[in-house]
This record gives sequence, structure tokens and C-alpha cells, in this order.
Amino acid sequence: MRAGVARVGKPGWVGLRPLLPMLVIAVAVAGVAGTLDMLRLAANRLVVGTPVGAEIFGQSGWLIAGLSLLGGGFLGARSSRPAALAALVTFCAALMLLSLTLCTAASDLIAWQPPAARARLASGAWTALVLLTAATIWAAGRTGLRRAGWFTAAGLTTAVLLVYRSGAYDGLSLAVEYRARAAAVQAALVQHVALSAAAVVLAAMSCALLYLWRAGRGAIKIAINGLQVVPAVALLGGLVALVSGVLAAIPGLRAVGLSALGAGPAILAIAAYLLLPFWRGLEGALRAAEPESVDAATAIGLTPRQILLELRLPIGTPILVGALRVASVQAIGLATLGALVGAGGLGGIVFDGMAQFAPDLILLGALPVIGLSLVVERGLSVVEDWARRSQRG
Amino acid sequence: MTSNRRLPQALGSLGVGLVLAVLSHPAVATSIAALLGAPGRRPLAAGRVIELAEHHLALAGLGLMLVGVLGVGLGVVATRVSARGWRNGIDTAAAVAQAVPPVVVVALALPVLGFGGPPTLLALLAYGIMPTLRGTIGAIEAVSPDARQAGIALGLTPRQVLTQIELPLAGAGILDALRVALVLSIATTAVGALAGASTLGTPIVAGLQNQNLLPMLQGASATAALAFLGDALMLAAAVLLRRSLDR
Repeated sequence: MRAGVARVGKPGWVGLRPLLPMLVIAVAVAGVAGTLDMLRLAANRLVVGTPVGAEIFGQSGWLIAGLSLLGGGFLGARSSRPAALAALVTFCAALMLLSLTLCTAASDLIAWQPPAARARLASGAWTALVLLTAATIWAAGRTGLRRAGWFTAAGLTTAVLLVYRSGAYDGLSLAVEYRARAAAVQAALVQHVALSAAAVVLAAMSCALLYLWRAGRGAIKIAINGLQVVPAVALLGGLVALVSGVLAAIPGLRAVGLSALGAGPAILAIAAYLLLPFWRGLEGALRAAEPESVDAATAIGLTPRQILLELRLPIGTPILVGALRVASVQAIGLATLGALVGAGGLGGIVFDGMAQFAPDLILLGALPVIGLSLVVERGLSVVEDWARRSQRG
Repeated sequence: MTSNRRLPQALGSLGVGLVLAVLSHPAVATSIAALLGAPGRRPLAAGRVIELAEHHLALAGLGLMLVGVLGVGLGVVATRVSARGWRNGIDTAAAVAQAVPPVVVVALALPVLGFGGPPTLLALLAYGIMPTLRGTIGAIEAVSPDARQAGIALGLTPRQVLTQIELPLAGAGILDALRVALVLSIATTAVGALAGASTLGTPIVAGLQNQNLLPMLQGASATAALAFLGDALMLAAAVLLRRSLDR
């Protein structure tokens, strides 16, 4: 009702509305292409290099801009599913075309250069890729189809992998760097997952054990909340300082395999932060069953154990999965810092890149961390939704 | 959280913060290390700890200010347009921003922005804005529609409804969001030491690299002390706000 009144009051906006997405995209394209660099040609992998603007794209550049505008036009024209699907396809085409154009341009740039030369994606290319991805996600959301986002992501990933296999990306410095270190990156990825998983399991188990101690719950809750305030770098530093102090006092512990550096302290520190999401999840999950249902279950003679296993836990499952999701994403992020205490993982590659000031090496460590957290976040939230739906019936 | 639980919580944070601050003093840290049997090598002088703490606070404070202005401001704007579509976009953006840990932001910004403060500031912004924005939106939306309707019935303009009804009632929730942002910004500033920013994270990182236990212990307790003291300050502010509303 109020919206109708507002519309009558501002007729000028109504006429502009269908054009709004197109206008926003036009401004974004002009801003990115006009002010930011697309690629950088560097003499070797450690220097930043000289900037190359959007003019290197030639006609493909105009085609990408045109496709993006067309997608915006579809989105603005009407809010129907076919229009959103058309926009989705257009944005995906623009995204793939942009990646291919960038790689062709990169290959052309280094074609007549010495082998150490690198063509690196610059700020404009990254901004354009991120903006187009955001537009694609937006269009996928507008289709109103439940799995549209997943299918799009899977399709784009497959397309990118196929293009990588064909060797079209080989001109890019990132692909060169990856080929040089593929084994190390894969090992670090496995190590990173193992670190995060170990911390998640440790935190979940300690949380369940701590929760069993009924009398201490208040104090434990205060301690767990207080732990969140401690900065991660400080906790890692303090833990290493304390453990090495204890080891110096009792050298016998070294023989048991305890050490101040390595995966142990990192897992311990990560798990400390994960206690809070698990604690909240456990509290919420056990409270999720309605008191009436619990009373009814007691009345028909179920033991407390049966009530826990057959009533409280099934009803609380979505909340527990939610806690697992929050904790896992946190663990993946925190595990990056684990490399500070020599725990390895993708953080090790990031820190190596920072120490050498090699942008591609930093990206090689950073991109898998981001991808990993996004995949885990999305995946577990699908499980969470599924558990919630299956519960309702 | 009710206000009568906030006061003891503030006092608890204050106490822990003060104890940790004492721990970061060179004499105390040396004696603790000696107690553990580790030889006390080259502790940081008290003046140096204070200097680093000042840098740390300046950087974290600047970041928090930007996060507060942008996060709360955008939150107010987002609740004005009252479009559901925006909420989905904000939630997605928040999930994506959360997937990029501060270390990674600092590392990615390093080649572009160079060493020191700028990459740290970027990480402060990238990591702090979304939780603040979400907290602000949540707090404003939690204001009961009755209060809002009463204001409209009294003939208040939309701006007056915002400043006289919504913001005071949502104040506690917004302060909670800012408290989380403050703790996050102190933690993120410590990570900035990896990019060469001179903060309390510096002695921790340096200590880890050259196996010097003392500065590591001092830096860790000073950083944690700052976080707890900041937490206590924000909790106390929440208590004061509550009192002034009750009156």
C-alpha cells in the first residue's frame, strides 16, 4: 500500500527503474576500464611490473562490456524467471569471455619476452572478475530456482578447468607459478584441511565433555566467552611461550612427543576458538525440543537417555549442523595463522609469498583458503537446510 | 543480554585486562619465564611496550572508527529502503567477507598497498564492516513495530522516528555489534605485524621467528590486555546507555 503511494509521489523514478541495473553496470564498466590496469608485465616473478590498460583487449573488450550491459538490461526489463535466466546466461558468457581475453592478452604480452617475464592480472582484471561474479550470483538468485547457484558454479568451474587443461591460461603468471609448485600447493591444501578438521573434532569432543559437567557450566561458559576476546596471534604466541616454558621446566615431556612448535599448539589454539560456536549450538539444540513433547515422552515412560537420543538430538540436528558450519569456516581461516608456529598448511605458502614479496605465490596460498571456506560454508548450509526441511515433514 | 549481567562482565574483562597488562611488564614477564625455568633473554623495555601499544591503539581505533561509521551508516540506510532483496545481498556479502580471513586480506593487499599500515587498515575494514552492518540491521529491526507506530501516530517525521525512537531503542544492540568489531579490530591489528605494521603483534612474530620467549609472552599478554580493556570499555558504555534510557 505504502509502496503504491510512494510510486505516485515520484513518477520520475518509475521510468528510470528498468534502466537502473544497466546504468549501474555502465558506470562500473567505464570506471574499471577507464581507471584501472588490466594486466602488469613484469620482468620476473618478484617485481610488480608496468601496467597495461584495457585497450589491450581490443574488440573483445567491447563485446564483454556489451554482454554485461545486455545482462543488466534483461534484469531491469522485467522481474520474470526467463528474463533472469537470460541475464544469468549472458553474465556467464561475459565472465568466460573475460577470462579467455585476459589469458590471450597475457600470452601476447609475454610472447616476445625473456622466459622469466610474467604477465600478471592487475587490479582492474580482479575488480572486473569480482563484479561479474557478483552480477552472476545476483542473476542466479533472481531466477528463484533453488539450485541455480550450484549449477552455475559447477558449470563455470568445469569450464575453467577444461580451459586450464587446454593450456589457454598458460600465459598468466598465476598458472606459471602453480605449475612450478603444484605438488607443494596440493600438499599444503591437504595439510590445511587436516589441521582444520582436527581442530573441529577436538573442539566438538571437548565441548560435549565439558557440557556433561553440569555444575561447572556457568564458569565454563564465562571462560569460553572470554577466550573469544583473546586475539589469535596473541593466543598462538602465548601458547608457544607457555609450552616451551613448561618443556624447559620438565624436559621429560619432550620424549612423549610434546613440542612447542608445530601442528599441536596450532590445533589447540584453533580449537579454543571453536568451543563457543559448538557450546552455543549444543545449548540451542538441547533446548529446541518443546517442554510439552519432553513431558509427553516422560509420561509414556521413556528414560532420559531415550529422550536425549530419540527426541532432543533429532530435533536439535539443524542447530548442531549450523554450529558445525560456523566452526568449520572459522577453523579454515584460523588454520592460515597456524603456519606462524610451523604447522604448515596454506598459510605457509601465503607467508612464503609475503617473505619473498611474490604476489602470485601469495595468491596461490590465499585463493584455496577462500575457495575452501566458501565451499564448506555453502555445503554445510545446504545440509542445514535439508535437515530443517526433513524435520518439518 | 540484560544490563544487570553486563556490569559484572565489564568488571571481569577489566580485571583480566589489568592482570594481563601487568604480565606484559618486563620485570613480571622475566620472573615468570624464570619460574618456568626458561632463561630470560632480552625482554622488551616498558617504554617500547607502551609505544607499540599506542601504535596498535591508533591503528585499531582508526579502523574501528571507519568500520563504525560505514557499518552503522549503511545499516541505517539498509533499514530505510526496507527492500528484502538487499538483505539477501548483504547476507551473501557477509558470508563471502567472512570466508576471507584477515591474514589473507593483509597478504593480498601487500603487493598493492605496500608494507605497514595500509594493508592492515584494509583488513580491518574488510573484516569489520559486515558483522557491524548485520548487527545494526538486526538491532534496528528488533525495535518493536508498536514503538515505531506510536511515533508515527504522534506525528514524528521519519527522521525523528529514527533519531528519537529507533536508534535509542536499538542502541544496546548496536553497541554489542561495535564491541565485537572492537575486539576483532584489535586482533586484526596484531595480524598486521606480518605486513610490517608496528603493533603489539610485532614482538610476537619476531619472537616466534628467533625463538625468543620473553617478547613473545609480553606481546601476547599486552595484545590480549588491550582486547579485554576495550571489551570492558564497551560493556561499561552499554551499562551507561541502559541507565540513561531507564531514567
